[in-house]
Amino acid sequence: MKKIEAVVQPSRVEAVKEALVEIGIGGMTISEVRGHGRQKGHTEVYRGNEYTVDLLPKVKFEIVLLDAQVEPAIDAILRSAKTGKIGDGKIFISSVEEVIRIRNLDRGENAI
Amino acid sequence: MNEPVILSTLSPTYLSGALSIRQQFELDHDGSAVLRRRSALVDRVLGGLFTHAISPEGGAPRGLCLVAVGGYGRSELHPSSDIDVVWICADSAAESAHRESTAAVLRTLWDLGLRSSGGLRTLSECRSVVATNPEFAIALLDARYLAGDPQLFSTLRQRTIPGMIARERESLVANLDELTRQRHRKYGDTIFHLEPNLKDAPGGLRDYHVARWLAVIAGLDERGEREAPVELWSQAFTPAVSAAFKFLTSARSLLHFHRGRDDNQLTYEMQDQAARLGIGMPDGGPRPAAEWMRGYFRHARAVESLVARLRDESTRPRRSLYAVFEDWRSRLSNADFSVIGGRIFLREPAQAGADPELLLRMFEMVARHGLEPSDEAERAVAHALPELAQRLEEMPEAGLSLQEILVLPHAGQALRAMHRLGMLAALIPEFQAIDALVTRDFYHRYTVDEHTFNTIQVLHALPKPKPGAGRASEAREPALGEVTRRFGSLLGEIEHPELLFLALLLHDLGKGSGHPDHVQGSLTAAERALARIGTSPEEDRTILFLIAHHLDMSSTLLRRDILDPATIREFARKVGSSERLKMLTLLTYADIKSVNPEALTPWKADALWQLYVSTDNRLARSLDDDRLALADDATLGLDVALPTARPAEKPSDLHAFLAGFPERYLAVHAPGEILEHLAMAQSLDRAPAQVRLERGASWWQLTLITRDRPLLFATVTGVLASWGMSIVKAEAFSNAQGVVLDGFAFDDVHRTLELNPPEIPRFEQALVDALSGKLALEKLLAQHSSGARRGGPARPALRREPRPGKDGVQPRGGPDRY
Repeated sequence: MKKIEAVVQPSRVEAVKEALVEIGIGGMTISEVRGHGRQKGHTEVYRGNEYTVDLLPKVKFEIVLLDAQVEPAIDAILRSAKTGKIGDGKIFISSVEEVIRIRNLDRGENAI
Repeated sequence: MNEPVILSTLSPTYLSGALSIRQQFELDHDGSAVLRRRSALVDRVLGGLFTHAISPEGGAPRGLCLVAVGGYGRSELHPSSDIDVVWICADSAAESAHRESTAAVLRTLWDLGLRSSGGLRTLSECRSVVATNPEFAIALLDARYLAGDPQLFSTLRQRTIPGMIARERESLVANLDELTRQRHRKYGDTIFHLEPNLKDAPGGLRDYHVARWLAVIAGLDERGEREAPVELWSQAFTPAVSAAFKFLTSARSLLHFHRGRDDNQLTYEMQDQAARLGIGMPDGGPRPAAEWMRGYFRHARAVESLVARLRDESTRPRRSLYAVFEDWRSRLSNADFSVIGGRIFLREPAQAGADPELLLRMFEMVARHGLEPSDEAERAVAHALPELAQRLEEMPEAGLSLQEILVLPHAGQALRAMHRLGMLAALIPEFQAIDALVTRDFYHRYTVDEHTFNTIQVLHALPKPKPGAGRASEAREPALGEVTRRFGSLLGEIEHPELLFLALLLHDLGKGSGHPDHVQGSLTAAERALARIGTSPEEDRTILFLIAHHLDMSSTLLRRDILDPATIREFARKVGSSERLKMLTLLTYADIKSVNPEALTPWKADALWQLYVSTDNRLARSLDDDRLALADDATLGLDVALPTARPAEKPSDLHAFLAGFPERYLAVHAPGEILEHLAMAQSLDRAPAQVRLERGASWWQLTLITRDRPLLFATVTGVLASWGMSIVKAEAFSNAQGVVLDGFAFDDVHRTLELNPPEIPRFEQALVDALSGKLALEKLLAQHSSGARRGGPARPALRREPRPGKDGVQPRGGPDRY
């Protein structure tokens, strides 16, 4: 089992959601986050005063999947989130040791 | 006690009794009967347990009694309510002697499936319980004898509890008030929840109980004896609150029976079921869910009004600071109204029907000072209501009064009172369609009318910018929050806040129209409402623009890349002017924040601000780069009204006039104005400068059309300055033919034009003469500085200080006047 964390542009959220649902992935957690990578924010001028917006608004998807679903999910995210511009975001993948469904105590792959 | 044996005896009794109560409810849907019958059933069970566990030999044990408290004490047990009891002991020796046997009784109750709580308390502990356990002290107010030593209970009921209240009434009331305040805050201080909690939400059963407790405390305090609480309420409240209690208990009983647990949230599913069964309806007949929920809100409103009144009356005399405040408020009395105890009384209530203006002034007073109408004033409004609608329609000032109310600090409170009393619907009949209207979606927590009032309240709650406040003061006030401070400063810059507030008041009317697109429905309803309110066509344009686009900023910041210049360029073109952008930003802020308390996350607020700043910069710096092209009909985007408004105009003339103007020109001028400008431009052959002067609500508006020439803008500002006019804002456009359109909003500081109308043509001629070179600007300015302008009107000796951000000229293309 793997966990995918994908940080994407807010404007791509609906597209990413739809792309994941299309390949049969219905369960996901979505959070409003702020941060920066290489984009490192930008400088804005408001009424003559410069100020730096160093943490940019992004949206984070968290999805736990069976190993076999990981590559299709990555493809779906890349296809739907990529604009080619700086700030498109990143995908992080990590291993998950255990999953437990609280309602009925299912464990492992049955709980996904 | 042989617990298995007693269990086998009592369990069938309880289960068959509970089943019978449920079956009866399924037939008659009478919640009040459920409460009484279940309490009686539990009384029998507990009586049996007491006999077996405490006095198997018969007779009442001395020094111990079993007392029902809380809801059980009131004989109001809903199907899944907890059984709250307390064992009262005469002293600590009795407490020790009965500890094991009383615990066995409670264990058996749990084994019977009855959730119960109850401990041992001595009489002396009950005397001092207010400070240590305020919830228990309040529960004791409903104490009812169940079993045991009757003399001991009599002492508790007749001496201990009245003594406790007499000694600690103030603390008890304060505790009750604080617990209620906290509970209301948890529910956003409103009854208008889409899926309300029947017990704990404002206007719910807990509020009904608070009203009872406050009445009991007041009754005991003043009379030394206990009366039925409902007899202590004002008679004006009794019928409505009694009906509300019946409705709420029936609905809550349905929830408990359906779910099998003490879950009091009235979900959409349960609303459908209750409406289908006609729960709480006088005729018991089925209703559509929306209508049934309107019934719920009507009952909740009755309970909320009662508890608010009793809380106010119970706590007011005890607070010295509040008393000072009340005393200050009483000085607000005037020829029309007396202000007593924070409430407004009409000096001549009989006049209310004949004088709707009087009532509007009363609501204006509510909005200005945060007062409430008295019962008597509310009755006067209700009595006058049938003839008010007709009279308001014949009264053009009514619309102005509404606008005045909207911009005052307590507008939300005034609007809620107007809505509750039917006054708002008399002014805007379209509002009736969203009265207590439930819209079922995942995000909204409140009914449409409450959401609307919330938006207005949210803007008024924004921190006001302080004159001269800079970084240092910001650093001292971190609690205000940077985000709200920014939006607060924006609100202070709006030239016509009444238009923004009117847009908020009308923006969701369409949700009650049945139109599939609520924005279109709102626009249709708003047009009708604005015709009655009496706003000008230009004001209508602004308000309708805000309503039409009230979802655009939300969708842009959530679905578009707001760091992409193309997104900003497109959005700036849609908005067109800095003033509209400010209003749309604030409308969006208020709209999101009023969906539910958590809807406007810091993330969304930052993104909204970012979209505002980027668009404002775009409007300020580069919108004029986008120019209208000749014969580019699609780009012109002209209203179809243009060609039909004045058929004599040739479209080619119009297009030639518009070509070369920045696109912003179309956004900030109405079609009618554009045709006026065209007519003025076509008259340039007869006179070198065309001048139009109009008096607006706040400022004079000068429109000047002439051919471009050096020092044009400076000459006009010089003439205005020589007449002592203070320029508030200015705009300048030029087309491909070299025709310039300058607009100036100015303040006639000395009221020269207002008090001396013959000066208006002289002022206009001075402008034309200065532009044509017949009049030397230097001479005009010299006359102004020496104060020797011959033939001019007498000027007041006082000269107003320049106002920060208001006096001065806005540079061409500048973001605004600040």
